[in-house]
Amino acid sequence: MSTDSVPTSGASVAGADSPGPAPAPSTTTGQDMPRSVSVLVFMRDRGIFVLWGLLIVAFAFWCSPYFFKVDNAILIANAAALTALFAAGVGIGIMTGVLDLSLPGTAAVASCVCGWVLTHGHATWLGLAAGLGAGVVVGLVNGLITIRGFNPIIVTIGTLSVLSGLAAVIAGGYTFPGLTQLEFMGTHRYLKVGDSFSGIPAPVFIVAAVFIVGTVFLTRTRDGIRLMAVGANAEAVRRAGIHADRYRVLGFVISGVLGALGGLVATANVTEANPNASPAIIFTALTAVALAGVALTGGRGSLPRVLVGALILATISNGLTIRGIQPYWATVCTGALLLGSLAFERVLQTAVSERLMAANLSVHQKKV
Amino acid sequence: MTTTGTPALDLQGIEMHYGFVRALDGIDIHVNAGEVVALLGDNGAGKSTLLKVMSGAHRPSGGTIRVRGEEKSFHAPSDAADAGIQMVYQDLSLVEPQDIAINLNLGQEKLRRGPLGWLGFVDRKEMRRSSEKELDRLGVRTAPMTRPVEMLSGGQRQVVALARSAIRVNGESQGILLLDEPTAALGYEQTKNVEALIRRMADQGIAIVVVTHDLPLCYEVADRIVILNRGKKVADLAAAGADRDHIVGWITGSRPSMFETAGA
Repeated sequence: MSTDSVPTSGASVAGADSPGPAPAPSTTTGQDMPRSVSVLVFMRDRGIFVLWGLLIVAFAFWCSPYFFKVDNAILIANAAALTALFAAGVGIGIMTGVLDLSLPGTAAVASCVCGWVLTHGHATWLGLAAGLGAGVVVGLVNGLITIRGFNPIIVTIGTLSVLSGLAAVIAGGYTFPGLTQLEFMGTHRYLKVGDSFSGIPAPVFIVAAVFIVGTVFLTRTRDGIRLMAVGANAEAVRRAGIHADRYRVLGFVISGVLGALGGLVATANVTEANPNASPAIIFTALTAVALAGVALTGGRGSLPRVLVGALILATISNGLTIRGIQPYWATVCTGALLLGSLAFERVLQTAVSERLMAANLSVHQKKV
Repeated sequence: MTTTGTPALDLQGIEMHYGFVRALDGIDIHVNAGEVVALLGDNGAGKSTLLKVMSGAHRPSGGTIRVRGEEKSFHAPSDAADAGIQMVYQDLSLVEPQDIAINLNLGQEKLRRGPLGWLGFVDRKEMRRSSEKELDRLGVRTAPMTRPVEMLSGGQRQVVALARSAIRVNGESQGILLLDEPTAALGYEQTKNVEALIRRMADQGIAIVVVTHDLPLCYEVADRIVILNRGKKVADLAAAGADRDHIVGWITGSRPSMFETAGA
């Protein structure tokens, strides 16, 4: 963002008081931001919600009468669930200043660890705990290597490779099939109402819980706020007397746990633990994150937007499928949408900075 | 302007060697509570090194540092911070996407009372209120506390960075503030505002060291001017009535040191 705009032009001085006496202290604190800026900022922060709304309206007409149905909404939510979990992992990583590419490997290892524990006759909770624990360990390793001053992208590419190999080692080259114990968090539906409502699939609840807890954590708690601050300017946080490195590791751990959770949910869906780490996961997740306008420079972004990003991907592919359009057109659409959103954001950004520059000239006197 | 006999910060015989290079050569410098000392010198004169010694980022090769009469040795910037010394870096060290209140409170966030506080929930309202109060006390009004720093002008950011340090040192009985080129990136009017703020902070009893290239700034805010040349202190004089040509002469080295006879 190019707002370190220092309006030094002669015009601003001429328009202000003469240099001698300091300008009279003004006590007004009110609206010194022009309305147009507020609108633009709103569009930047909430634009994706508007976009999703427009998509839904468009599909509701275009794919009438099949699209705008409760059942279809649940289908979309369920389809978005996995992407959303991984997107949360990638998103939190990026917001805290690390791009964790090892997520597919983490997911594969978590699901294989869980599969191994379950096929050896242990309790379901133990399997899940072991899977999530694997995620924590992966996050710790990623984090502890990265804070030694290595590039997180390279480090996590390395761990991705190690992890996908390890997952195959754990599974002995095969898969762990028949994990029906996990059905309760896979295809099972809850809140069923007679015949009229078939219930909501388990992954939707998991996603809802993750995003609510994550959003509250990042915006309302001390550690969450510091985590975001580390993403924006780790050096500033360090100078404020905070152990910035610990928060970077924490970012990796959260990312790892979410990756593991995604792997477990995927395993539960198909009741089979598969050691194949699919890199496609990370790219779909990244698409959702980028669509949500999470800047890769870190420190910015919000989880609700990431969720909507994942939902948009699912909505597009669902709507096109209903119309009987080939699925590869869906990826073309999301790609085009992503590029469009980039252009949109650029336009908004420049508009905001221009207006702010103009506004800062007029708010000068209020500073003293 | 001096309020006590013992200086807030007193450095004696500071030496700093990098290999064969002598960056600082027996520097004596002190600053009293409520006093603004401007540290001048050409590039490479040792200003930044001296400031880093004061802020604890560098350990001097020799010499003593006294804070309010007590001898200290700083191993890290946090030691200096504990002693009530705050540095405002030239890059300001602000977290741009976060709002003013968070930036002012970073590292000492206020938690909510009760169970939510135990879970680490912050009290944004309270932080806003106290930030506003602190800024009022410093006599600055920048923008609403909820405004992200990235939406502030350069001058407003500088004010936020200064205010943050001022708030931090005010917890001490007499704080010490080190400013690195506070007006380097600012326009005329913004510079005036920052000057006024520096003066007000000094009037509240904070001892301030300003490193700058900006001679008008010195005359405007400084009580005393200290000039370094090639790692040596060549002048230490009251700002009021100091001859501009003499100062420039000391900075460039064309004028012999005030201390030549004493030092030899």
